[in-house]
Amino acid sequence: MMLALWLLPLFGAILCWFLGPQLKAAAGWLASLAIGVPFVLTLMLWQAGSAGLHQALFSWMPGFTFGLQLDPLSLLWTFIITGVGFLIHVYSMGYMEGDRAYARFFAYMNFFVFAMLTLVLSDNFVGLLVGWGLVGLASYFLIGFWFERPTAVAAARKAFVINVAGDVGIMLAIFILFAFTGSLSFADVFSHVGALGTGALLAVCVCLFIGAAAKSAQVPLHTWLPDAMEGPTPVSALIHAATMVTAGVYLIARCAPLWNHSPQAQLLVGTIGGVTALVGAILGMAQWDIKRILAYSTMSQIGYMIMGVGVGAYEGGVAHFFTHAFFKAQLFLGSGLIIHALANEQDVRKMGGLAKKLPFAFWAMLIGVLAICGVPGLSGFFSKDQVIYGALEHGHPWLYAVGILTAGITAYYMFRMLFVTFLGEYRGDVDHPHGSGWQMVVPVAILIVPSVVAGWLLFGGENSAWAHFFATQFPATQLPAANVPAISEGLTTLIVLALVVLGFAVAWVRYGSKAALHNAAERLEREATRMPGILVNAFYIDVILDAVFVRTSQALGSLFSRFVDPLVLDGAVRGVAGTAGRLGGLARLLQNGLVRSYALLLVLGAALFLAYYAFAGAR
Amino acid sequence: MTGELPVAIINYVFLSSVIFFIGVAGVLLRRNPLIILMSIELMWNAANLLFLSFAKAWANNAGQIFAFLVITVAAAEAAIGLAIVVTVFRAAKNVDVDDVRSLQG
Repeated sequence: MMLALWLLPLFGAILCWFLGPQLKAAAGWLASLAIGVPFVLTLMLWQAGSAGLHQALFSWMPGFTFGLQLDPLSLLWTFIITGVGFLIHVYSMGYMEGDRAYARFFAYMNFFVFAMLTLVLSDNFVGLLVGWGLVGLASYFLIGFWFERPTAVAAARKAFVINVAGDVGIMLAIFILFAFTGSLSFADVFSHVGALGTGALLAVCVCLFIGAAAKSAQVPLHTWLPDAMEGPTPVSALIHAATMVTAGVYLIARCAPLWNHSPQAQLLVGTIGGVTALVGAILGMAQWDIKRILAYSTMSQIGYMIMGVGVGAYEGGVAHFFTHAFFKAQLFLGSGLIIHALANEQDVRKMGGLAKKLPFAFWAMLIGVLAICGVPGLSGFFSKDQVIYGALEHGHPWLYAVGILTAGITAYYMFRMLFVTFLGEYRGDVDHPHGSGWQMVVPVAILIVPSVVAGWLLFGGENSAWAHFFATQFPATQLPAANVPAISEGLTTLIVLALVVLGFAVAWVRYGSKAALHNAAERLEREATRMPGILVNAFYIDVILDAVFVRTSQALGSLFSRFVDPLVLDGAVRGVAGTAGRLGGLARLLQNGLVRSYALLLVLGAALFLAYYAFAGAR
Repeated sequence: MTGELPVAIINYVFLSSVIFFIGVAGVLLRRNPLIILMSIELMWNAANLLFLSFAKAWANNAGQIFAFLVITVAAAEAAIGLAIVVTVFRAAKNVDVDDVRSLQG
């Protein structure tokens, strides 16, 4: 059953790929089915999986067996991948309708789900790395899906290169782990953590984190994520919000036994997570493209998750992944409703007043925004509080402060997006924005339910359903001793709420109030021209990366192409060829075509032989 | 153990050597391919003479049998050689080996 769960999306991908032209519109149904059935299988395996399920598949070489495993952690990810994935597949049937590569799109989507399932179901590091690479590949295919656009191709290439840099990090970590523990399966490695010294453990954690940071868009490897919005919106929802970009969170939560033994690595990961949360939120304030706003918000929220799992608050970090998958998928699909209605317009300055024209999209986005801001009762409220308070509990007051601050900024930029998009007068060019078909509406409507209620699983602290579910995965005894903070959880919630209200109020004054909506188009234009350069250019991180890595490797490349390649490599090759040619020229002199001269040489040779043996015999 | 020979074995060796070098000289010096083939035939037979002489002298029939092998191979060689000569002659209207040098390197 686990095998079917794993391989069905692959079959779907193969069928869609090869039979695409024959399947036509049925490709969407087939692909959805190839995800929907695994979702049902996930639910059927829930009981067995939460207790821990393992299935060895084949032995690659002695001492290395590839198998599938389900435990609470991978079960949670599988649930999101197949569940949210199924809804997004259904949504895509409406969104991609009429695209000339309709079947190819679903082949890629199914392939992505297969790759992601490989990543989370593997019981060893190599299988994880294979899945890790394949999701990067699927992401590359899907970002560059509209390959007629040069920007899409460039974005796909950028994402792929940065992700491969991360893959190398994971590979190095695997080498070190194998050298010290002699095994690659999670169970063996984690039971031999003691075999690694402090330095080696830190090296492993840093290498793994390079991979996690590249995949999960952590500073400074995040720059591919906003560009990745070139892909179709369902792709952004599935890959660049709900599942793939959270692979880094999965990796760290999976390798919790490693991190638990390395406080330095925890500090590093927590800090990078916190910085990413803050940077993403700050940059989210300065965007005009609705999908880029959501991309930066995704980056910021993943920063929260990484901060949570980094400092050791695994349950909180994983919970934020869980709730975020729902409300961010909902936000992205909601933005897809708008983009679809406005004929691919993504600039919020050309929207406005859509609440009346697209009431369903408005309500869906509103609920998503409330959930991401952490309004009490909605899912984001519970998970975000757990992460923020977890940072304090595990002795990182600075990260705690950053988390609270980011929550306020999040409220500001999310409501800014909501107000600019939906309130005031319509400023766009499309005359009659139209609603969407049921394939697009129903998935969003379904997603609203978990993004409202999913957080209640976390209600009740140590006695919550969530804590019970993960009791075996992250046993409390393994966690580093938590401090008893001076600030209580209730007070934290109040501070966060106060900042959220503040963020909302600022957004309201600037974009939502009557005064702000008066002449909104002009005001927004003015704001765009006055935007500080440092925000427009995203802290110049792209420029710095370009100067440090791209330019140096280009310089190195031109050095090699100008000197090393023509002189050393070509020199060696041409030297060998030239020598052979000259020797051949000498040998050609013998081949003069005169049969009798050949015969003479033959006789001379025979004479030499005879002479040699005569004299050798004489001696 | 030696067999019955009319004259001493050394005479056969000398005769064989003389025939062989006549053959070598023919191959090297003549330009008519038919003569060259005949010279090669001479060399084969010089070798045959030695085989037979020593077979008789040492009463070992392996030499006799080897002579048959040599005759067979020589026949095959002559057939191929003549075929080549005929083909070349048809193509070039010429049977001078020095003029047939299109395989020059």
